[in-house]
Parts: sequence; C-alpha cells; structure tokens
Amino acid sequence: MSEINVDDLPAPNVHRHKRGRPAAIWIVPLIAIAAAAALAVRTYLRTGPTIKIKFESAEGLTVGQSDVRYKNVPVGKITDIDISDDLEEIVATVELSRGFAKLAVEDTRFWVERPRIGVGGVSGLSTLLSGAFIGVDVGTSKKSAAHFIGLEKPPGILRDQGGSAFRLNAQDGGSLAIKSPVYMRREQVGSISDIALAADGKSVEIEVFIEAPYDHVITDQAVFWNASGMDVTLDAAGLRLDTQSIATVVAGGIAIGFRPPDPRHPAKPAKADTKFVLYDDRAHAMATPDQESLALAMRFDQPLRGIGPTTTIDFNGVVMGNVDRVRLGYDSTTRAFYSDVDATVYPRRLGDAYDSMVLEGQQLGRSGPEMLQSLVARGLRAQVRSGNLLTGQNFITLAILPNQRKTEVAMRDGTWIVPTARGGTDLIQDQIANIVAKVDKIPFDAIGGEVQDAAKSASALLGHLDRDVVPDTKKMVDQAQLAMDALREGLAAIRDNVAAADSPIQQSARTTLEELERAAFSLRGLADYLKHHPETILRGRASGPEPH
Amino acid sequence: MKTADELGVIACPLCELVMRSPDGDADCPRCGQFLPRVSRRGIGKCWALVIAAVALYFPANVLPMMHTEQFPMHRDDTILSGIKFLWREGSWELAVLVFAASILVPLTKLIVLGFLLVTSSRRSTWRPRVRTKMYRALEVIGHWSMLDVFVVSLLTAVVQLGRFASVEPGPAVLPFASVVVLTMLASASFDPRTIWMTRRGEA
Repeated sequence: MSEINVDDLPAPNVHRHKRGRPAAIWIVPLIAIAAAAALAVRTYLRTGPTIKIKFESAEGLTVGQSDVRYKNVPVGKITDIDISDDLEEIVATVELSRGFAKLAVEDTRFWVERPRIGVGGVSGLSTLLSGAFIGVDVGTSKKSAAHFIGLEKPPGILRDQGGSAFRLNAQDGGSLAIKSPVYMRREQVGSISDIALAADGKSVEIEVFIEAPYDHVITDQAVFWNASGMDVTLDAAGLRLDTQSIATVVAGGIAIGFRPPDPRHPAKPAKADTKFVLYDDRAHAMATPDQESLALAMRFDQPLRGIGPTTTIDFNGVVMGNVDRVRLGYDSTTRAFYSDVDATVYPRRLGDAYDSMVLEGQQLGRSGPEMLQSLVARGLRAQVRSGNLLTGQNFITLAILPNQRKTEVAMRDGTWIVPTARGGTDLIQDQIANIVAKVDKIPFDAIGGEVQDAAKSASALLGHLDRDVVPDTKKMVDQAQLAMDALREGLAAIRDNVAAADSPIQQSARTTLEELERAAFSLRGLADYLKHHPETILRGRASGPEPH
Repeated sequence: MKTADELGVIACPLCELVMRSPDGDADCPRCGQFLPRVSRRGIGKCWALVIAAVALYFPANVLPMMHTEQFPMHRDDTILSGIKFLWREGSWELAVLVFAASILVPLTKLIVLGFLLVTSSRRSTWRPRVRTKMYRALEVIGHWSMLDVFVVSLLTAVVQLGRFASVEPGPAVLPFASVVVLTMLASASFDPRTIWMTRRGEA
C-alpha cells in the first residue's frame, strides 16, 4: 500500500462566505433561557408575601391543601404547619398570592373556618367537604405585618359591615350564643358577635353588633334584656310567661328597649363600644337605672322559708331591690338561731319620693344616713310578708310601723343594718300559738277536782233537804190547803151575792146603765145639731124644728 | 497509526472521494455533496442544545408537574414532591423508577454531554475510549427520560371525572418535555468523532 501524498488529493470547494451560519442554532438556547426566565418571573409574580399565623390547633388544616380565603376567594395557601417554640401553639405558614399582599396588615384577623352548628344556624358547611380553611377579615391599618395570632372562632362582625358594636355585661349567658339575634321592636337589627365569660368568672361579657343605620338609634337610655326562650317566672307576683318572638324561644336573643323619656336625663346617642347591662327580663330593664345602690343587712329571728336570692324587697309596694343571700346564724349567748339577710336596694327606684326626700335632706342639712336614721326612728322596719299563699313565696317589705321601740340604725362595712319586725302570716301564727299556749295554761285538773267537790257538797245539801226540809214543807203544804179551802168558801159567798138576778147590786147597776144610755143619745142629738148649725154656739138657737 | 484527521484528509460521505480537509465549509469537488465540518459545527450545535436544556431544567423541577383534583383535596406536585409522595405512600419501587427516569436520566445526560463537549472542544486526550463508551451509554438511557411526561399525559386523558377527580398538567410539563427533547437532540447532534480529534495530531 503506497503512501498517499496529501497534496495530490483534490481540494474541496470551500464556501467563501458562509461562516455566519452556525449562529442559527443558538436561537434555541436563547429561547429556552427566555422561556425559563418567563416562567420564573411568572411564578414570582404569583407568589405573594409569606405570613405566619398562630392557632391553638391545626385541626382540619393540611399543608398544601388548606387555603386562605377572603370572601370565599382563595388568596393564598398553607405551605407549612409547625409547632411554636414553646409547644403551646401551632404556626401556620401561609403564602399569599401576589396582589393580596395588602390583606396582610397589622389588624387583619385570621380564623379557621370549620363546620359549626349553632343555635343561630349552621355555618361553614362547605368546609365539611372542602376541609377547613383560614378565613380573613382585612384590617384597616396601613402597616403591613407578617406575624398574626389567629382567632379561635370566626369573628361575629366583619369590618366591611356597617354598624357598631356594643358591650353588654350579663350575670348569665342563658341560651345566648354567637349569631343570636338582637331585636328592636321585635325586628332584628343585629346579632351577638362575641360572648365570653369574664376573666374573673363573675359575669358574662357579650358583644352585640347593631347593623347600620340602627346603631345610631341606640342611646344611653337604651336597655338590653335577655329575650331567650320562654321566661316563666313563679314569684310573689304569680305565674308569668314572656317571650320576644318564636325564634328566640329556640335560638335565644336579646331585645332592645328604651326607657320612657326623662326630662332630667335627656337621651344621648351611645358611642360604639359603650357598655350596657344585660338585664334578665324586660321588667328589670325598664326599671329606673340603678345608679346608686345601698347594701342592707337584716336579722330575723324567725325562720325564712320562701326567702332567698332574687326575693324582692319593696317599700310601700315599690320593688326596691333584691335579696342577695340568706345565712343562718347562731347566737351562743341567747342560744338562738337567727337568719341574716343581705340585700341590695336601689333608692332611685322610689322615683319622685326619693328626690323629694333628698331635697328635704338638703334643706334640713341632713345626710343620707341621717335621713335613714330618722325613718328608722319613725318606725321603719323590715318585715317578712307572704306574697303568695299558694306558692309560699314571701317577700321582704320595708314599712313604717307604728308603736316601735326606738332603735339606732347601725352601719357595718358599708352595710346598713335595718331593724326588723315580725309581721304578716308569721304574726298570725304567733298569735295562734299564743292562744294555744294560753289554753294550755288553763288548770283543767284543778277545775275538775273543784267541780267534783262542788258536786259532793250539792249531794250533801240535797240529802239535808230530803231529810229535814221536806217534812216541814209537807206540813206547810197541808196548812196551805186548809187556807185555800177557807178562801174558796169566801169567794163562793161573794159570787152568790153578785150573780143573783134580784140582788140589790145587780138592780142598781142596771138602772145606772139605762140612764147612761139615755144621756148618750141626747148628746148625739146635740152634736148633730151643732154640726149642721154651728152658728148657734154664738147666736143662740133660731126658731125651728127641735132637734130630734 | 494515523487518523484521517491527523493526515489532514476527509472522505466525502456520499461518493467517498478522499480529499484534503477544508478550512471551513466546503462541497465535494466530484459529487457536490456538502462536507460538514466535523469538529466545530457539531460541537457548537450540541453546546446550544445543552445550554437550552439546562435553562429549562430548573423550571421543569421547581414548577408543579401535575395538578390533582381529588375531591375534596387538590394538590400540586412537582417531580420531587411527587416522588416524595410515592415514597411515603409505600410505593417505593415506583418512586425509585420515577426518580431514575425523571431526575437521574436527564441530569446524567446533561452532565455527561457537558463533559464530552468540554473535552471534545478542548481536544482533550483523556481516555477517548472511555468517553466513547459514555456516549454510547447516553444513547441507550436517553429513551427512558420521557416517563414523567407520559405519566402526566396519560393521567390527564384518563382521570377526568369532572368535579370529583381530575388531573391536569402543570406548568412544568412543557419545560420538562423540552428538556428531554433537547437532550435527545443534543446527544444526536454530538459527533462522537470529535472525541478522537485529539491535539496530538495537530502540529
């Protein structure tokens, strides 16, 4: 095989001007880089800020699935769920979609929407199928934030709703719940947005939301009362049944009313967040505002059946307050049991009478305690009275009783100690007891003995009579017989004298009678004549026929 | 032993006329066949495709591949999160398979191609035999890298139960498919002959 001389080989036809061609293929990576960049930009644009929300529990939340919804529009999703450093809460990392960054401001509220079945209706039912999601109520602040503390229950009011919230303080939550309706003139004007036991556990704090425009109707003279269910009361006033509407029977609710206008306290519109008291019923609510209260203590020696918390205290028929508690006490010196009653009264409920008394006190330069002192001096006493014989309900009345011992009113720890008097049914019972006691004191044994003695004496007396008196009496009767016989004989002689026709007595009597008859006849003739001719009395008798 | 390159000759691929190596593009003087420059052109084209594939490799892995709507849940899966899901659910064989097909193969292809390109363009003398074997292996595994795209397109077509369950391709499908196609084109455009065009012959 011979060596090939390269130079002998033919030369290819070289292209002179085509060195620029290789550039065409470089369009491909350029397009690829552009596409990758476009995708990156698009992804970046769709990704908003990342925020962290703390919740008590991650129940129902799932990474990658649970989303964040504002007005039911997904605005982001949970990318991570972690436990906080102190192991107390969970921290949900939420990636908001681009464009919704403005949702994450300082006072934005987040809560986990789960299916809830309450008296006000069923909410979040869709979450049964879709799983829980995080609800958003956008705040009004301009400052953005990245860390939030989530609410455990959905807020009752969202910020875009028009209206105002008011705070109520209640003794008892009753059947009230979030979303329970609030009525004004039996029309719904709002609902309960929050309800929680106060931190000290002594009352229930309720937030009600009144929708616009009715929130402007609320004044400081507005009163709120619990219109939940049926209010069946059996008290000294008898049986009473109140309902606001059929709906509240089932769902509970609050009613709003207004006190009658008072010229001394003109109504002022109430600001949002004003605090009100939630009364138990309409009657309590409508009572004059209980601004001043007076604590009273009373000690009764009698058993206090039918007296307990909520027993009313009245003064001259006006309900002034309630009994707070009744305690049984024992006095070791007198070895007697007694009952201490603590009560709160509201003097303003007396209305004009109170005002007049305050005025009088001012004029006399007397303070309130002195006025009370003077009332006690005039016989003011607390008495237990029977309000309802059927149910055995009693009440305590403050009344000015006559003939009371003079007593000083004492004060201890800010409590007025009001003297008490027995009265009412209790008094009647005592009187009956007294009568029984007196009857009991009658010495029936002794009386019996005496009666027996008397009977014995009487028997002796009768024996004596029988023995000594009766024979004498018999003699007397015989002598009387003889006397009677003599008398009878005498009378018979008299009768014989008078009754005989020819006896002189009878003769003369007959003659006398005849004379009398004639005289009477003449008198009659004269009378007749005079009747017809009365003038003859004056003029004398005219000649004429004789009167017959 | 001398190579044609070392002698400075090439043969026409059509009429097999042996001639001197041209500087730049040329035609065969006998049959007029275009004579592609073995070294520069192939390497350049391959470079372009590899760079394009690398550029698209990122969105293909970061963006969700598949959007699954399985009432009441819905989830977006990237390739890696899908593998993680499969692994956690206990289908570890499947997870390994998908990992190999969707992550390992394209990545290996890109790395090996890059390595071959760098060595070829620098006319490296490092073990051309090994590099040739690498190239052959590349061609074999290349067929398997489309698995993910097939899975997604199959599921999209099959699982369409309206509201209750549906599978939709995510934005990563297109870049991923492009990566696969580009790597295939790149490995096809790589001329293994350049492996043997070592600097030794150049004087």
